[in-house]
Amino acid sequence: MSLATFENYFLPGNGREVVALLQEYGERALILAGGSFVHGLAARDLLSGVDVFIDIQKLGLANIVTDPDGLQVGAMTRFTDFEKVPEIQNDPGWGAVKDALSYPPAQIMNAATVGGSIAAVCPYFDLPTALLAVGGKVKVESNTGSREINLKDFSTSLFESSLGVDEFVTGLVLPQPVSGSVSAFIKLATNANDLAIVNVAVQINLDRSGVCRSASVALGGGVNEITLRSAAAEKLLEGQKLTDELMKAAGTAVQVDISPMADHRASAEYRSAMASVLTERALQRAIARLTRSS
Amino acid sequence: MTNRSVLGNSVPRPDALDKVTGGKQFPVNVVLPGMLHAKLLRSPYPHARIVSIDAGAAEKLPGVKAVLLPQDVPQRKYCPVYFVPTLAPSMVQDMLIMSDTVRYAGQPVAAVAATSAGIAEQALELIEVEYEELPAVFDPDAAMADGAPVIHAGTEKNVAVNPVISFGDVEAAFEKAEHIFEGTYQTQRVHTCYMEPRVCVVDSDVAGNLTVHSSMQHLFGLREKLAFALDMPEGKVKVIKPAYIGGGFGGKLDIGYIEPVAALLSLKTGRPVRIEQTRYEDFISTTRNPIKVYLKTGISKEGRFVARYAESTLDCGAHATHGAEVINVHGMFGILLTYPCPDQHWEGKTVYTNNIIGGGYRGYGSPQGAFAVESQIDEICEELGFDPVEFRLNNSYQQGDPHPFNPAAKLDSYRFQDCLQQAAERIDWSSRKPAGSDQGVRKRGIGLGCQPLWVSGCVGFPDIYEHSGAIVKLNRDGTADLSTATVDLGSGQITTLCMIAAEELGLAADQVRMTYADTDTVPFDAPSHASRVTYSAGNAVKAAAGEAKQRLLEVAGGLLEAGPDDLEVRAGMVCVKGSPDVKIRVADVVERAEAPFVVMTEEGPQPTNLAEKGTIIGLSSMAPPANPSPATVEFVEVEVDTETGQVDVLRVVFAHDLGKLIHPAGAEGQVEGGFQQGMGYALMENLVFDADSGACLSSDFLDYKMPTAVEMPVKIESIFIESDEPTGPFGAKSLSEPCVTVPAPAIANAIYNATGVRVRELPITPEKILTGLGRL
Repeated sequence: MSLATFENYFLPGNGREVVALLQEYGERALILAGGSFVHGLAARDLLSGVDVFIDIQKLGLANIVTDPDGLQVGAMTRFTDFEKVPEIQNDPGWGAVKDALSYPPAQIMNAATVGGSIAAVCPYFDLPTALLAVGGKVKVESNTGSREINLKDFSTSLFESSLGVDEFVTGLVLPQPVSGSVSAFIKLATNANDLAIVNVAVQINLDRSGVCRSASVALGGGVNEITLRSAAAEKLLEGQKLTDELMKAAGTAVQVDISPMADHRASAEYRSAMASVLTERALQRAIARLTRSS
Repeated sequence: MTNRSVLGNSVPRPDALDKVTGGKQFPVNVVLPGMLHAKLLRSPYPHARIVSIDAGAAEKLPGVKAVLLPQDVPQRKYCPVYFVPTLAPSMVQDMLIMSDTVRYAGQPVAAVAATSAGIAEQALELIEVEYEELPAVFDPDAAMADGAPVIHAGTEKNVAVNPVISFGDVEAAFEKAEHIFEGTYQTQRVHTCYMEPRVCVVDSDVAGNLTVHSSMQHLFGLREKLAFALDMPEGKVKVIKPAYIGGGFGGKLDIGYIEPVAALLSLKTGRPVRIEQTRYEDFISTTRNPIKVYLKTGISKEGRFVARYAESTLDCGAHATHGAEVINVHGMFGILLTYPCPDQHWEGKTVYTNNIIGGGYRGYGSPQGAFAVESQIDEICEELGFDPVEFRLNNSYQQGDPHPFNPAAKLDSYRFQDCLQQAAERIDWSSRKPAGSDQGVRKRGIGLGCQPLWVSGCVGFPDIYEHSGAIVKLNRDGTADLSTATVDLGSGQITTLCMIAAEELGLAADQVRMTYADTDTVPFDAPSHASRVTYSAGNAVKAAAGEAKQRLLEVAGGLLEAGPDDLEVRAGMVCVKGSPDVKIRVADVVERAEAPFVVMTEEGPQPTNLAEKGTIIGLSSMAPPANPSPATVEFVEVEVDTETGQVDVLRVVFAHDLGKLIHPAGAEGQVEGGFQQGMGYALMENLVFDADSGACLSSDFLDYKMPTAVEMPVKIESIFIESDEPTGPFGAKSLSEPCVTVPAPAIANAIYNATGVRVRELPITPEKILTGLGRL
């Protein structure tokens, strides 16, 4: 389908207008943020039911607020601006986010938005995996007001979210990492402008004796229809010292939670094997940050 | 002895500034007044008969100006390949612009011209086509099996062409061989990935004459094939030369569907019609044919080739197109002529399937052969304990040997041994470790791949055009205009040809300008392909410049009171040999030649000589004298992550005997660009198709992966070994295609050296490496 055949393109000035358009057009409408994935979807016939664009660039939504509780990031924040936030650059607890933003090519960094990458609910994206590991929450708005959804509960199936039909994503809340937290993200792909074959993000918090108080392990890139957390790996890590053996075992443990997809880009067996390798490597990368920051 | 003031300098490319500021002369930017836009409706089925088409609703859509259906199209079977005569016996005439039979998913079945591309696309959705589905076959072996669907009536077992070439007595030679090796090597379907899509604008006049703009590699081929397919005289078709195109790589060496369809729509509407393909349409247009090579080699006790047997099965898809010629170049330059071997037998089969059509791509069958031959040499050396460099040195042609392809000529400037030795030294070959011996998760390895014998054009191929022409005209400001039908594909043909003309004329490189050409105004030229432009077109340009220079010296001689043979041109001045102070500016000579009968001088009016009169111009139209062969060697160092199977290419050393080096930066660019394509072929590029519908699944660069700048090795070192080719312009022969051919075997062999894993099927994906390591 060519984008030239779109009948309706709207450029609303505020959230109420967005909600009204969503109510009017429902499933026919697609919110346009940075627009970096629209051609990719169209080329794969994934926009067949969509003939209305709602471009939210006039809404602002590009503010970043820092406070002791964490970060509040507007949905229209471009990757390149998100990457420049000092806390993202410097806090090892948000290392996974910094890592995830180091992969995209310049064109994506300049066009793609934080909200768009979340709302696309694409398991092959990098940033959502990192945000899932660091406990991000999605801010959404509708005519009944706004609410927050834990990222863990946001994706429901491939390209489907728990958003109501008249709701749209307005921002992201990232809770301040507990002191002593480190995190990291790692991606496997064929070339520099590829979607992930597998990606993994971890965030861990260790006490002074080196015992893991809490761990989150998030996996994406086709290890499942949605980006997910591995409870089995997290349970294995919590309460233990992070030895090389334990991190390898955590890599093995993710197999319990994943159910990889097979397509022309990778077999399920390869994704499965890589989920373990990348989990171990992400943990090692995070631990290296702990050593550096302490 | 020529005073080389121009050649060997990396002068600025005259097209560079224009390209980096928008490239307004790319054919994709051609806009004509009143231009319509057309789109093609493509079949969703891989094999079907069209029962009926109803375009009534499409014709009524506001903005639609014309609809084209199979019944509106001349049913004249043609071969789309530019560089052969239309009815060349070596080729197969099996294509129609539109047919009532569909043979691959994506074949055009109708077209619409409208006032915008969007309206044309909307109109396509209103066309109703009733298909009768036919059984389809996608695997060439299955296509040759009994009971397979017949794709073209009249062919046996779906085999389009079946060349067999033998030297000596191969069976007896195998009996005498000390060792015998065999293996099957499979390559995949890839696209050249030119950046500018296939695009054309065709206009017509009231007399039915056509004027064609297109992003293609051959003006005269397009004229010939278009006129034939439309069943009209060639003289009614004029093709405008694009100043440059956005890449071709062999992927624009044949007429597409778009030119004849746009022509017919223009004749129907009287308006110019433009068609631009989407990336998806480009991916299903022209591709490098997959070839499966079974290769059996007999080796003597001393490590010499004594017998070779090979079978090559080429999947040409729905139409033979280039596949009828690729199979021959593959057999000769990919296998039989790579290294001397007295007894050889090869059989090629170009097989129809319901896959998309093939096409030209740099190397033209040679990359598929080199992957087999060069991989197997590595296997032989590993098994028998030979050093792969020594083994090749002992099995190669020597400078001065008769040319194995054109035995009347000799390998005068052949320097394969120097390429091997110098590149081996640069990569530090002697430090190479045994296969798989590197410790740790990341293992490094070194490998090499060669193209021992390649071409500088097509002299010696019976059916292929091989001549060039040029016009060189001197201007009164002392500059020159060069006009040829040679298309610059992006690889610097303009620069090279202007430099050759400047060298011959005694001008600076930037004093020669490549100017306008079309099929009405310049001599025939074969396409920009087959590594031929520097050598073949270069010889023609040098000859035209030489003719202009001779006239320049004659006119100057009258002014300097010297014979033309006593004069030379240096730095824009004509001077007497041995008396450099007796001189006159080139500009003044040209002005004099074009001046009226009486000129005003400080001494008053002076009559001039009628014999001086006339624009100083040179013309050539000629075949090149020979087809000299260069040799190519490439060493590659890789690092393999044995947990993920991913391969990093760390370093590349390339060596090539190109005759004389004309434009060093341009030559390095060839090596680097060629490596990118060869590395993609080796590791990741692959057009993939749905197993049931035959639909192409890799429809854009998200799914069709090629190396980006990030994956490219930081270090690519080019060693250009100069050798004076006696038949070449200023001693030059060719570079070009081997740059693309050698990376895949070099990378495959380096991966083996790193890991001990031999992969005989491209691309060498991480999964194949992990499987070889027993980790998947």
